[in-house]
Amino acid sequence: MPHHLRDKYAIVGVGYTPQGKIDGRTALSFHLQACANAINDAGVKRKDIDGLIIYRSFTPLLGEPEVTPYLVAQHLGISPKILSQEANCARGHLLHAIAFLEAGLCNYVLISYGDNALSGGRRFLSEATHGESFKDNAAFGEFGLVSNYAMAARRAMFEFQTGPDIWKEIAVSQRKWANLNPRAVMYDRGLTYADYLKAKWVVEPFRTYDTCLISDGGRAFIVTSLERAKDLKQTPALIMGFGSYHPSIDIHQSDYMAGPTGALESGKQALQMADITIDDITACEIYDCFTYTVEITLQDYGFFGPGEGKDWFSDGRIAPGGDLPVNTSGGLLSEAYFMGLTPLTEAVMQIMGRCGERQLGPKTATKEPEIVLVSDNGGVFQSHATMILRRL
Amino acid sequence: MGYDKPIPEPNADTSPFWDGCRRHQLRFQRCSDCGHIRFPASFLCPGCHSFDSQWIESIGRGKIYSFAIYHVAFDQAFKDSLPYVTAIVELAEGPRLLTNIVGCRPSDVRCDMPVEVVWDDTAAKFALPKFRPLP
Ligand SMILES: [Zn+2]
Repeated sequence: MPHHLRDKYAIVGVGYTPQGKIDGRTALSFHLQACANAINDAGVKRKDIDGLIIYRSFTPLLGEPEVTPYLVAQHLGISPKILSQEANCARGHLLHAIAFLEAGLCNYVLISYGDNALSGGRRFLSEATHGESFKDNAAFGEFGLVSNYAMAARRAMFEFQTGPDIWKEIAVSQRKWANLNPRAVMYDRGLTYADYLKAKWVVEPFRTYDTCLISDGGRAFIVTSLERAKDLKQTPALIMGFGSYHPSIDIHQSDYMAGPTGALESGKQALQMADITIDDITACEIYDCFTYTVEITLQDYGFFGPGEGKDWFSDGRIAPGGDLPVNTSGGLLSEAYFMGLTPLTEAVMQIMGRCGERQLGPKTATKEPEIVLVSDNGGVFQSHATMILRRL
Repeated sequence: MGYDKPIPEPNADTSPFWDGCRRHQLRFQRCSDCGHIRFPASFLCPGCHSFDSQWIESIGRGKIYSFAIYHVAFDQAFKDSLPYVTAIVELAEGPRLLTNIVGCRPSDVRCDMPVEVVWDDTAAKFALPKFRPLP
């Protein structure tokens, strides 16, 4: 994204909902609760919301109607100028929001995700094909993303000798963060290296603790200009850099399972726009559908070289008290699964200083979250975005 | 009880591939203009945007790019097949495709292992191209 947009726009409010296994709720209800809470959190007037972007519609569960942007807007009692719904999650949504703001089409853009995935029994199998026929793959017994990412991880084991020894550091460190976060689904459940290693294979080389959660709930946030942000309730999280790159190749034809993924190009763009180097980053919120995704993303960003992860992750570097905190809410592995909104909104809350026991800084013996790098990834490394947020 | 696993769902682009499989021919499209060999089947050459192509038959040999071992049945029809191996095989002609590795123990499968096609005819209406290690 062009350099002149650096520090021009900001995230100014976050909306949460109950999360985990929440029975008796529609997908729409989670969108509405997250949106209403985000509007209230930011202190924006409801009628001033002139852009609404919601995550792509999955096949509705439990006999519910499809959640469309019209439906969400109707129930929120708003009539925006821009309504949008698409698959590219927070990575696309944030970029589009900035484009709408920069073009003068909108002043306040609300972005939302909601689903009753857990209570409705969504298994992200047919949802997880990205262009290929679900049945053509299922004929070979391939179902969804676990095995796709497991294959990628296997190739990385072959090319640069990574493996469960590194991934257990990621799973255990993120769980330690979740244990500081009362909202996290895994808040009161510890995880040791031994627990990790004795868990059964799901799709080898992945065990249970390598895979993200499936959650009921929603999350929303609001984007506006820095000028407008100054009149609102919260200290804004400034958007300092943004990069995106979408290799788009289906995993079955991919030749970059072991990297470099889209993170390499996307990360470069974001750092360039922010006019900083990787050493200026004080914490990361990395899209963590699987443990390996965290490793390859950080590797492609240049935090360490191929095969150097073993040393880099040791000594609790990404855990509370570590040199480079990663996924401080517990992430998709241990907090809750709300697509790219889980990492992005956590970065915002850390920058705003609203994270309680898990707050970066003296409370967790970590650096102050001056500049936080956020990643988002989609398909199987088909789509990547990097967002760099900072304190005002 | 008949064959209860999912079967492929050919469409206008992919049915020549699955038709070839029924005759035990593993086929790909070769671009008539630039010679690029592509898979999955497509109307357009991603290399040069030519609409013209011919179907060519693969020699059916290649190597395993990567693989995963299922220890959990995501569909009950696969329960008796556990553990089984899904893999990406890179054919000698260039294309990569999803398949299963058969004819060896899952624990013996390795990346870059040379393999050859073997046809699975157990589904009445389809033949599935699977691969086994070359001797
Ligand atoms: Zn061509």
